[in-house]
Amino acid sequence: MHLKTMLWLWGTLALLLASCEKQTITQVDAPLQVAEALGGGSAEGYARAVEVRPFQFPLDHGPHPEFRNEWWYFTGNLSTASGRRFGYQFTLFRTALAPLDPRPNQTAWEQNQVFMGHFALTDVASGKFHFAERFSRDALGLSGAQAQPFQVWLEDWNVSGDGSRRELPMRLVAEEGPVRMELDLIAEKPMVLQGNQGLSQKGGEAGNASYYYSYTRLKASGSVTVEGETLPVNGSSWMDREWSTSALESGQAGWDWFALQLSDGSELMYYQLRLEDGRPDRTSAGVRVFPEGGTTKLSWEDVELTPLGFWESPHTGARYPSGWRLQSRDGSVDLQIQPVLKDQELRVTVHYWEGAVDIQGTASGKPVSGQGYVELTGYTPASLLGKR
Amino acid sequence: MLLFLSSWRHLLRHPWQFGLSVLGVALGVSVVLAIDLTNASALRSFELSVESVSGRATHQILGSSGNLPESLYAQLRRDHGFRQTAPALEGYVGLPLRPGQAFQLLGVDPFAEAPFRSYLRQLSTDSTGAFTEFLTRPDALVMSAATARELSLEVGDPLEVRIGSRVETLRLVGTITLEDEFSRLALKNLLITDISAAQRLLEMPGALSRVDVLIEGPAALEHVKRLQKVLPEGVQLEPVASRVESGAKMTEAFQINLTALSLLALVVGMFLIYNTMTFSVVQRYALLGRLRAVGVTRQQVFRLVLGEAVIVGLLGTLLGLAGGIGLSQELVRLVTQTINDLYFVLNVNAVELSPWSLSKGIGLGMGATLLVVLPPALEASGISPRTVLMRSATEESHRRLQQYAALGGTVLFLVGVGVLQVPTTDLLISYFGLFSLLIGAALVTPACTGWIMSGLRPLVQQVFGVFGALGVRGVQAELSRTGVAIAALMIAVASSIGLQVMVGSFRNTVYQWLGSQLWADIYVSPPSLVANRSDQFLEDELIEALAQTPGVQHVTRLRGLDVEVDFGKLRLIAMNLPEEGYASYRFKESLDGTPWKGFTEKSHLVISEPLAFRTGLQPGDTLELKTPAGPQGFLITGIFHDYASERGFGIISRTRYEQFWDDPRSNSAAYYLQPGQDANQALEAMGATLNRLGRTANAENQGIQDLVIRSNVQLREQSLAIFDRTFAITGVLQLLVAGVAFIGVLSALMALQLERQRELGVMRATGITPGQLWGLITGQCSLMGLVAGVLAMPVGVMLAVVLIYVVNQRSFGWTFPTVVSGGTLLQGLLIAVGAAVLAGLYPAWKMSRTPPALALREE
Repeated sequence: MHLKTMLWLWGTLALLLASCEKQTITQVDAPLQVAEALGGGSAEGYARAVEVRPFQFPLDHGPHPEFRNEWWYFTGNLSTASGRRFGYQFTLFRTALAPLDPRPNQTAWEQNQVFMGHFALTDVASGKFHFAERFSRDALGLSGAQAQPFQVWLEDWNVSGDGSRRELPMRLVAEEGPVRMELDLIAEKPMVLQGNQGLSQKGGEAGNASYYYSYTRLKASGSVTVEGETLPVNGSSWMDREWSTSALESGQAGWDWFALQLSDGSELMYYQLRLEDGRPDRTSAGVRVFPEGGTTKLSWEDVELTPLGFWESPHTGARYPSGWRLQSRDGSVDLQIQPVLKDQELRVTVHYWEGAVDIQGTASGKPVSGQGYVELTGYTPASLLGKR
Repeated sequence: MLLFLSSWRHLLRHPWQFGLSVLGVALGVSVVLAIDLTNASALRSFELSVESVSGRATHQILGSSGNLPESLYAQLRRDHGFRQTAPALEGYVGLPLRPGQAFQLLGVDPFAEAPFRSYLRQLSTDSTGAFTEFLTRPDALVMSAATARELSLEVGDPLEVRIGSRVETLRLVGTITLEDEFSRLALKNLLITDISAAQRLLEMPGALSRVDVLIEGPAALEHVKRLQKVLPEGVQLEPVASRVESGAKMTEAFQINLTALSLLALVVGMFLIYNTMTFSVVQRYALLGRLRAVGVTRQQVFRLVLGEAVIVGLLGTLLGLAGGIGLSQELVRLVTQTINDLYFVLNVNAVELSPWSLSKGIGLGMGATLLVVLPPALEASGISPRTVLMRSATEESHRRLQQYAALGGTVLFLVGVGVLQVPTTDLLISYFGLFSLLIGAALVTPACTGWIMSGLRPLVQQVFGVFGALGVRGVQAELSRTGVAIAALMIAVASSIGLQVMVGSFRNTVYQWLGSQLWADIYVSPPSLVANRSDQFLEDELIEALAQTPGVQHVTRLRGLDVEVDFGKLRLIAMNLPEEGYASYRFKESLDGTPWKGFTEKSHLVISEPLAFRTGLQPGDTLELKTPAGPQGFLITGIFHDYASERGFGIISRTRYEQFWDDPRSNSAAYYLQPGQDANQALEAMGATLNRLGRTANAENQGIQDLVIRSNVQLREQSLAIFDRTFAITGVLQLLVAGVAFIGVLSALMALQLERQRELGVMRATGITPGQLWGLITGQCSLMGLVAGVLAMPVGVMLAVVLIYVVNQRSFGWTFPTVVSGGTLLQGLLIAVGAAVLAGLYPAWKMSRTPPALALREE
């Protein structure tokens, strides 16, 4: 459930020119931009996610420029043979600044498709959290996406693969300054169609929805370069794919999103939208993926989420929950979730916390452990959603 | 206290003398300050212009033919990971709203901007949706809020922009409000569009002017090396600082020359202060003697005179500061115009009051005053109580002083001559020589005046009788008071003559040169916003259509561009000159006397004199030009005289150019008519052709029509107009120097004549009529003016020779023969005599009306 992140971030795209030190300006004006991005009229000219559609692969791994927003979202936990632990987030977002224009372009730069990328690496051993953000328009090959052969890239950040295979083998390359990551990913479990056969309703109105599928367990192997050292790593990754034009309804303060991979071979995804008074929104939802691939949908009533502690960012002053207890009401799941590092805050165009976590607890009556990723938004004091 | 009162009374009792000496200091200071402020502002505005378009970039990637392929930028970012880079496309456009003014168009990619041009971030905060519009509307434009206000534009308004011969309507989608004054100035007249819009508007799809690069931190050097390694042939990485530096260097000679001229005003001013202060000491010999007699010490007398000078200096300097600031507002316009004509477009033309310039003004004003007052102050303190009343004794000592001055002046003069022989390109050394020469001549002047008077006396006595002789003797006897004034007037007039002869000679040469240089009959170019340079292109079809005009024999296409060479950038013109055109180039040196032999087919290059001077290139040398097809050696076959470009340029054959640069475009075209054809008829026919094509044309380069079509006669006139505009600043300075001198002479002579009240009273009492007295004073004054004027002639011509053969050659590399016109000399003489006579009018009038008894009363 990165949709809101996406819209939130893209909403402030107009302000992306702001470099980090001018963050306050950015966020004060952001609501206007979000309103514009989410405004009903502005969806005109774009395709909408109105009904269930049959997905076609490998085509659907590629871009859907007729929709306004789209992303390829990777998170994962990695470790070296000696047990040195890393977490990563790698996301490529596409947005259309205007509906597709059939007229021929006069220059190569005349492109309304824009890409944004976020790359973060958590180095548990050194206690360091590296993150970076970049933007580019889909011009001159600077950024782009294609289905065959499957490739999405933003300058030298790149994910490519063989979309014709069910396991979707992919190679992911990202480098920023001294930090570099190269991973080979391959699905260990089949693709999960989220929501109703891949149509994920986000609001009351028809069309306020997205097309959404995930690979909840991808085997990852490759290398991580930090501090001049290249280390072979192995681990597990998660991929979310989503595209839409409009989705959200306002009123939420932010959300907490969990992608958890458990040692019994199951996964659990849950996002909780928070209202301004802190209560969970009724649109909060999730899914449980069983070891064999079967799924159960989770609604807001099925899950109880309790923060176990808090971490105040020394950089932004934001106070994030740090550690949770996630329980299902039927008692089948009871998990304690702890971040591997307190500070995994991305201070990019918009501030948010997204980081690797460790899991201990019970699932289906058996003790489990696991690793996962958590995303927390709307906690920055001056942030857009916090203000509303 | 008593001493101070005495001093104060003296100043009060001679308000004219006091006021005029203050004015002398003020004028000197204000001219120097104004020039300094103007120079500093011009340089600062250049820095700002560079900053506004390059932002925080530390380096720039530039192409050898002026442009870069955009794919290079994509490769750098995507394949090589150089992410601190931003593409930029620049060009100049005009606004029909503001004819004749150049606006810089800057195309950027906002996604790459953040590290570079921080002002763009303001865009988004000022207007909702502006950013999306900026990216998605092909006609979107942003500018600073101040520029929008100046153009009376609101967000959402359309704006017509002229690019070459087209007019496009853009829309202002947002404005940038900036807090600090510098950024505001920097963004003045800057139109910012998305890179896509800029490519479309400037008709340069696929091209970038440059890629800005930010390289910082400890590994910077390594980074630079790594970047250089991946850059293809014909593409350079240059530090931004070198752009500012090269701009500063380009105008350095121009600015040093201005500063030197302004110092001339100060030198004249110094002579005048010296004159006034000496005079005021001489006036008070008796008083000072008495003061010494009653026990006032030497030191006290010294301080007294010095104190007076401080008052004069202080008042004069303060007035000068105010005047200088006011004057600089006007001068900066002239200087900016010259820089625009000769060097590069300055967006900014506001005066920046730098504390450094102001303190220099104060230092010079006070320093000069105190320096020149030392001799009179020492003299005053040296007055012995006994010799007080012996005027003759002081005149006697002055005569000795004169001889020393003459001797010292001669030595100084010779030193100046010697210094000017030193082969150097350092302008400061040249000016040191020039000033030594001038001051030397000035020091000799009082002695010369004495000799001239001795020589004149018999002649004058014969013609004008005893009165004439009386006048001559008077001048001779009063040399201690008049000598310096005459010297100051001489310097001022000599400077005036020197500058005028220099500019006149230059103009004469340029005029003749234009006559031979404009080989074709009709020239067609797009309107250029920058004189001397054309950055727009002419369509081939248009050139062809005009070539069909009856009477046209053939046409030459010209392509001008900046090419990268080892020592920087070289202006290059590529054309296939027809053989008729060869004769129009006068060669200073050439290879085997045949510079054009095989020119069209071979890699040959002819260069202009300033370029040869600047680079030391000689015929026979091979110069490597960086072309898109890799470096190519060009053999220099000749150096030709040229006065069009101070930076200099080279000519290569069009055939060679198209081969190496793969660029068939033209910036202008020149048409030859069949012998006997009338250019005006052809012009009309061409105009008709254009009308048929729906284009407009004019002979005026106003930037508001499609094309500029000019016959060689019109082009010559316009070139001369630019020349005159360039030297407008020199003319203004010349006037200012003359002004300072005039004030000085006025004050010196007036004080002198007023001082003679008693002597003249005696004359009146002995029966001389007011008319005769009037004649005597006027005659004496004109005699002094005449001496100054006559002495100024050789000195002025000498100054011109130095300016032409030393300063000009060393600054710009131009050589031209000195042409001295009798008119210029006569004018100098008239100025000198006129100023002197004018100065005598008031005293003469006053004396002729004063009853003798009153005049005779002792003070």
